[in-house]
Amino acid sequence: MTLDPYNAFLHRDEQDGDWRVGVKDVIDVVGMPTTAASKILDRVPERDAECVARLRAAGAAIVGKLNTHEFAFGALTNSPHFGPARNPWDLERTTGGSSGGSGAAVAAGLVDLALGTDTAGSVRIPAAFCGVTGHRPTAGLVPTEGVVPTAWSLDAVGTLARTADECRTAVEVMSGRSLEPNGPVRRVGIVARLFEEAVPAVAAACEEACRALPGSPEVVELPLHDEIATITQLVMLPEAAAAHLGWLRTCLADYGPDVRARLLAGLLLPSTAYITGLRARRWVRSRWERELGDFDLLVAPAMPIVAPRLDAIPSDYRLLIMPYNSPAALLGLPVTVVPCGFVDGLPVALALVGPRFADATVLSAAHAFQTRTDWHERRPL
Amino acid sequence: METESSPLQSLREAAAAQGVHPTDEDLEGVRDFLDRILPALAEIEERLPSESPP
Repeated sequence: MTLDPYNAFLHRDEQDGDWRVGVKDVIDVVGMPTTAASKILDRVPERDAECVARLRAAGAAIVGKLNTHEFAFGALTNSPHFGPARNPWDLERTTGGSSGGSGAAVAAGLVDLALGTDTAGSVRIPAAFCGVTGHRPTAGLVPTEGVVPTAWSLDAVGTLARTADECRTAVEVMSGRSLEPNGPVRRVGIVARLFEEAVPAVAAACEEACRALPGSPEVVELPLHDEIATITQLVMLPEAAAAHLGWLRTCLADYGPDVRARLLAGLLLPSTAYITGLRARRWVRSRWERELGDFDLLVAPAMPIVAPRLDAIPSDYRLLIMPYNSPAALLGLPVTVVPCGFVDGLPVALALVGPRFADATVLSAAHAFQTRTDWHERRPL
Repeated sequence: METESSPLQSLREAAAAQGVHPTDEDLEGVRDFLDRILPALAEIEERLPSESPP
């Protein structure tokens, strides 16, 4: 068995195969425990989650369950119960999260494909930090039956792999749809503010990478840019609290401190806050469609920083990353994250965002980018 | 008369009404979070077009 100094796996079988797939431990796999990296959940499912069953039917060998932030409700993958996932590019650094085991396992070559979930960035963050390709599908494209919910209206099952083509194959299998683009990418919007707010070296690497994109990009502004992260919280936190209400009543002390704090915040927000969040989501969607509806792709740095050290996570980490992840989460948009350079030996990535159900366009653009660049082929030593 | 602990007490009662019993330390964290997000929520409520249904 290959060693796992990355703490990527929480459960691992000896099984091998031509298409080795690891599954984030919030997604059911028959016969393998689902713990969500928690002390609370420990069930051995009698059936696969629908997305896993479809991959298995297509020939995937499910080789194990992958580490996650506790209940996939955080952006680090540092469960107090199972320990942190470690970044293959530097074992002292975070993988990001919550699908951190998935990012580490793909980066280290332990699997060919990993499933993750993305409520508010949880596929995209570890893909960026670990230097692999990640795809968050349009909400609803891939079934979520058999997946521990984080926030029902935001959750999406996504993929992490070496290439956009591998992600596309997996999403096609899991969704049962062919993902052939309708036509060439015409309009590409550069979200300038997200470049400006990234650390300069990350922004520079991403700007350089934009030269390999199709068409002639135009600078755009996101509508309600300053409000989107808050609106996402107004939707996500109460949904998460509702999903966990039974356990909050019976085993509150068994949650790690950060997850417990966020769940309690969702429980104790005013009851009107959730409704305001839903109304505001519709407001954002309306403005987005009016102002950006003609764009095939929007492009921004996937993350504003490189993976921080596990012992030096910035105190404002969540605030830093939310503007990069919240818009697509709130609106259920497809996003492909592609490696696009290195800063201080650590991976940097671009996020390509498309309109709802334009997964084929986004993945095709990511594939085209990867035919012109080789960042996705780099391996950690 | 308002006491310093009254905000925590109201949070404790709201949690208890839902069958959840957090510690004071938990509630202090919630209060800090609410102190940050409630002004932003109020601003969004004010700007939200009145014809926006959920």
